[in-house]
Amino acid sequence: MTEPGLPDTDPLALEAEIPTAPMTVNLGPSHPAMHGTVRLVVTLDGETIVEAIPEIGFLHRGFSKSSENSTWHQVLPYTDRLNYVSPILNNTGYIMGVEKLIGLKPTERAEYLRVLGGEISRICDHLTCIGAIGLELGAFTTFLYAMEARELLWDRIAELCGARVTVSWTRIGGVATDMPAGWEEHLRGCLPRVLELTNEVDTLLTRNRIFVDRTRGVGVISGDEAIDWGFTGPCLRATGVNYDVRKAHPYSVYDRMDFEIPLGTRGDTYDRYVLRLEEIRQSHRIILQCLDQMPPGPIIIDDWRYALPPKKEVFGSIEGVMAHFKLIMEGIQVPAGEVYVYTEGANGELGFHIVSNGKGKPYAIQVRGPGFPILSALPRLIKGHAVADLIPIFDSINMIGGEVEQ
Amino acid sequence: MSDSGAVSTGGGQPGAARAQAQIPAPPKMVKVFVDGVEVQADSRDNLIEAARRVGVAIPYFCYHPRLSIAGQCRMCLVETSDAPGRLVPGCQVRVKEGLKVVTNSPAVKDNQRGCMEFHLVNHPVDCAICDQSGECKLQDYYMEYDHQPSRIRVNKLNKPKREIFGPQVVYDAERCIMCTRCVRFMDEIAKETQLAVVDRGTHSLIATFPGQPLDSKYSGNTVDICPVGALLNRDFRFQSRVWFVNKSPAVCTGCSNGCNVYAESRGDVIYRLLPRRNEEVNQVWMCDEGRLTYHASNEKRVEWARTGRGDTSASVGPRIAVDRAVELLKPLAGQGGIGIAVSAQCTNEEAAAAFQLGERLGATRYFLGAQPQGDSDDFLIRADKNPNTSGVLLAAEAFGVKLDVAHGIDRVKALIAMRTDGLPADKLARLEVFVAIAQNEDAVTAEADVTLPCKSVYEQDGSLINWYGRLQRTWESVPAQRADTASGWSWAERILTGLGGSASTSVAAAFRTLAERSPHLNGLSFEQLPEEGIVLEALLPQDWPARAPRPLPGGHSVRGPQTTPPGMKVGDEASGGSR
Repeated sequence: MTEPGLPDTDPLALEAEIPTAPMTVNLGPSHPAMHGTVRLVVTLDGETIVEAIPEIGFLHRGFSKSSENSTWHQVLPYTDRLNYVSPILNNTGYIMGVEKLIGLKPTERAEYLRVLGGEISRICDHLTCIGAIGLELGAFTTFLYAMEARELLWDRIAELCGARVTVSWTRIGGVATDMPAGWEEHLRGCLPRVLELTNEVDTLLTRNRIFVDRTRGVGVISGDEAIDWGFTGPCLRATGVNYDVRKAHPYSVYDRMDFEIPLGTRGDTYDRYVLRLEEIRQSHRIILQCLDQMPPGPIIIDDWRYALPPKKEVFGSIEGVMAHFKLIMEGIQVPAGEVYVYTEGANGELGFHIVSNGKGKPYAIQVRGPGFPILSALPRLIKGHAVADLIPIFDSINMIGGEVEQ
Repeated sequence: MSDSGAVSTGGGQPGAARAQAQIPAPPKMVKVFVDGVEVQADSRDNLIEAARRVGVAIPYFCYHPRLSIAGQCRMCLVETSDAPGRLVPGCQVRVKEGLKVVTNSPAVKDNQRGCMEFHLVNHPVDCAICDQSGECKLQDYYMEYDHQPSRIRVNKLNKPKREIFGPQVVYDAERCIMCTRCVRFMDEIAKETQLAVVDRGTHSLIATFPGQPLDSKYSGNTVDICPVGALLNRDFRFQSRVWFVNKSPAVCTGCSNGCNVYAESRGDVIYRLLPRRNEEVNQVWMCDEGRLTYHASNEKRVEWARTGRGDTSASVGPRIAVDRAVELLKPLAGQGGIGIAVSAQCTNEEAAAAFQLGERLGATRYFLGAQPQGDSDDFLIRADKNPNTSGVLLAAEAFGVKLDVAHGIDRVKALIAMRTDGLPADKLARLEVFVAIAQNEDAVTAEADVTLPCKSVYEQDGSLINWYGRLQRTWESVPAQRADTASGWSWAERILTGLGGSASTSVAAAFRTLAERSPHLNGLSFEQLPEEGIVLEALLPQDWPARAPRPLPGGHSVRGPQTTPPGMKVGDEASGGSR
């Protein structure tokens, strides 16, 4: 017989209600799950997150100011370092802005190459995100599959651009390098393996009871609220809002591509994951269409005011050496003006606001990094969840320090 | 711009006209249209100058606002309403009432492109090794008006690559585009015919006459006005790429003319001096000797403050050196036998501070040191090879002291030298105390008990007064090479403070010390000195050389814009330099 209050018989007799005071802990800045270097100041009430404030700036490089002191082409390597997982998309966005200021149209082959390279980059970006979300929930295998697929593509990018990550591949009026001999076959050969690996991830995670329980209904945001926060890209489409710059405002040769925009319904972590998985398949379609449609021809315009002359002319003719000298020393002369150019980056609308005063260097450049408004909604997404949900939510918004902190 | 009336269309050949500073007649304005934009142009303007008034750039190589018209390069061809369907040279055709000028029609653009293509037919692939690279009109115009590969497939002509024309100038015939600016400059401005065009057609080149080098004292200007890299300055050649140097205004210290210059420097080293426009001093020219004066600022400097003569000397740092000077001078103060030597190379502030120090010490003798007199002419070169004789004399008058010549130093047992020019080294050994504020190491500084490193005029803010009484300021154009180095006035002020006097701590205060005492500087403050200087009327001499630029009647300042018009680079012929 149990006698309340008697320790000998009542197991709860000595239990007292423990008063909990909010506890503030740091997550990061140097933490494997912090995707770069960002700090979250988390206030906990027991296991529950009361507040989580991201503190950014550890990757601030002074992008805007550095750009003002560089020629138009010298800005290009800085854009590699915005979203360093999909640099070709950043390169393209910036160069399109400069071309719009000049009123220049790149060659058709260059347009296809940019879309091709951009979609490979997008796959790499999404693979990184879905691989990491599995890893951070304990599914190490999926991360290895995703990385294997990403490596395959980064090798193709290295063959195409000469660099894996910091590619600086686009040029005003075109791109820096054409596809090397045999590269197309190489790419066509490795794409099925990339899809196969993506499917492996899909099989391992998408219907995995543990994974679904941990992600579904977590970090939910509605479409309207997401728009209010300034969401774009996969995080917005996961809420069911159909906005993709490639379809809504087609640029380059996207209007010639047959692809679909996958949409989510709930706007939770699970939808953000599934949506990226599906976008990989759509990007794969675009890549194949690019390869099929790509016309032969020059990869950069033949106008020495904007494109460097061929080396044969630089070393062998006074015209070539003069053009080279002026382009390198003083930069391309971009007419005075102001443009905003927006493209679909891997995480959403990547905007470049560029001001020229007619000189060889930009007067001002501002970047709308898609990650910034999404990161600013992180406290809203995390609040009220258990501390264990923080990492998957943070992963699913795919914050990239380079573009957020610039 | 062409306010001097220097645009002359008299004859199309070099030497046909004489360009000279004239007092301009009141301008008559006419209305013309440049690309549809109405322009109020001076009736003496040619089409290039009229277009420049509204920021429309007509390209040209051979035209120069201060030289006669040659019409050699054909780059400035434009269309006018007077000759529809034909192209006319913008350099030679003058404006007239109601004239419509078109500078951007297909025919004009086509000519510009063709012109560039022809100019480059025989031009060597030299940009990488050419000093002109970065300030070359061929490069600028190629990108602006041509920017295409050449269609001409012939071997380039070989011509002399390194003809030594004279002590300052070397000629590369392959780079020459035969604009004849240099020939016309020698004929019309220097008035010494030393260059000519020889041979014909594509084989033509610029040459000196047999046995007669280009030894004019103004030969360096031909390098400035050369639009390409054909004429190069031997002093500057291969010393620095032009985009590495910083350009800052300064005043030449070579003689009492006070030519306005740009000092071009990188780090703490000056690489060259280029003329800066000042219509009333040097127009846009300068002499060869002046171009070399920067060497004294770069080389053989007194680097550290030191005490002790000869072998006993030791670098001690500025504070101990000043303390030592005070220690040596204090017992002698007020007892007579102290001399102050002020060099005519000093700025006004340095001279005033020296006289102030003399006043405090009760100095009995004052000496004027100077670089020896040299040759002179009736244009820019003055016999007095010191930039500030007028200023030192003015300061002496302000302080009520009588200046003796420095080489006759006697009856003093202590001497303080504000710069050491013209001091007799052999008479200094017997001095009991010798404090030298010196810029360069020489026999004089070896005799000093205390040597204080002095900034050159190019390294400090200050003011100078030229031979006819023009008060001009100088700037800290280049940082001093050593941290100990300070301007002369500040050394004097430090000694003055050590002696218990009150001293000014800024160059403006040092100038005020002088301005308060001198009636000529009444009401002037250092901060308000205009960049182009101002004329102290009372000092104006009666005798003017025939050609020398002079102040315009009825005012102090330079006429015409001193700023850079749109589309012009600093140093272009219409804005500030001669190029």
